[in-house]
Amino acid sequence: MEYFDDMAVGAVRETAGHTVSRDEIMAFAREFDPQPFHIDEAAAKAGPYGDVIASGWHTAAMMMRLIVDQFAGRVASAGSPGFDNLRWLKPVRPGDTLRVRSTCIEKTPSKSRPNLGSCRFNTEVVNQNDEVVMSLTTIGMYTRRPQ
Amino acid sequence: MLYWEDFSVGQVFEGGPRPVTKEEIIAFAKRFDPQPFHIDEEAASRSIYGGLIASGWHTIGMAMRMLVDAVMSRYAAIPAPGVDEARWKKPVRPGDTLFLRVEILELIPSRSKPDRGVVRSRVTLNNQKGEEVLTLMPVNLYRRRPAAKA
Repeated sequence: MEYFDDMAVGAVRETAGHTVSRDEIMAFAREFDPQPFHIDEAAAKAGPYGDVIASGWHTAAMMMRLIVDQFAGRVASAGSPGFDNLRWLKPVRPGDTLRVRSTCIEKTPSKSRPNLGSCRFNTEVVNQNDEVVMSLTTIGMYTRRPQ
Repeated sequence: MLYWEDFSVGQVFEGGPRPVTKEEIIAFAKRFDPQPFHIDEEAASRSIYGGLIASGWHTIGMAMRMLVDAVMSRYAAIPAPGVDEARWKKPVRPGDTLFLRVEILELIPSRSKPDRGVVRSRVTLNNQKGEEVLTLMPVNLYRRRPAAKA
């Protein structure tokens, strides 16, 4: 198990990839983000992107799944208070393969709860051409190594 | 159709009520966030949360849907640049009912693209007890009203 004490500033981690289908893009968006450029193929094909693009929150949700698959059970995670500076930099299209790259930039022991610490990460979602499609500062809480 | 010019600073939009079911919490988390306290009632009851809670990304998804229904579906929205800050303040649990509030903070014409403008807002999601469960500080883009033909 990797604890807060084991996290190193500057350490980079990368997940496996996920290829997103047209059906996944449209199903997510119909439920959570039903805007024409996500769900209406005809309108999207006539628009500036030339096809449907994934909801930015779908990209974020896929990021979470890649992180959980890679690290759940291996890292002593204690949740997250949120994130900062999220930017959607490139559209995500049907057939794109996404993976997540994350660099620890800061670690802070909790003042109020001595068994916890938080880390901030520069987190990037990249596609099959290594283009960054989304970037954000993620914040993770972790338990400390039991004494 | 409404355009960027039709927003005003201080304007408030509201959405909801949006009830949250156990089934949708589990279904979302099985797809995107399969941690025990989101998908397994038994394990969740033994966790620090004392029961199932929604994935934070599911909470944001529900907020987004309420935003689309209340705002984006009526205004000429362009895909958004991002969100400056997001905070999950309280867990969302099965049986909760969510309410959306959007306050328009700032309207900035785009310098590089005269056909659009930036809208900054504060989005809060409250539960049925009036507790804030989520806050977002999004940056959105909307088209400007096309010039009348001469």
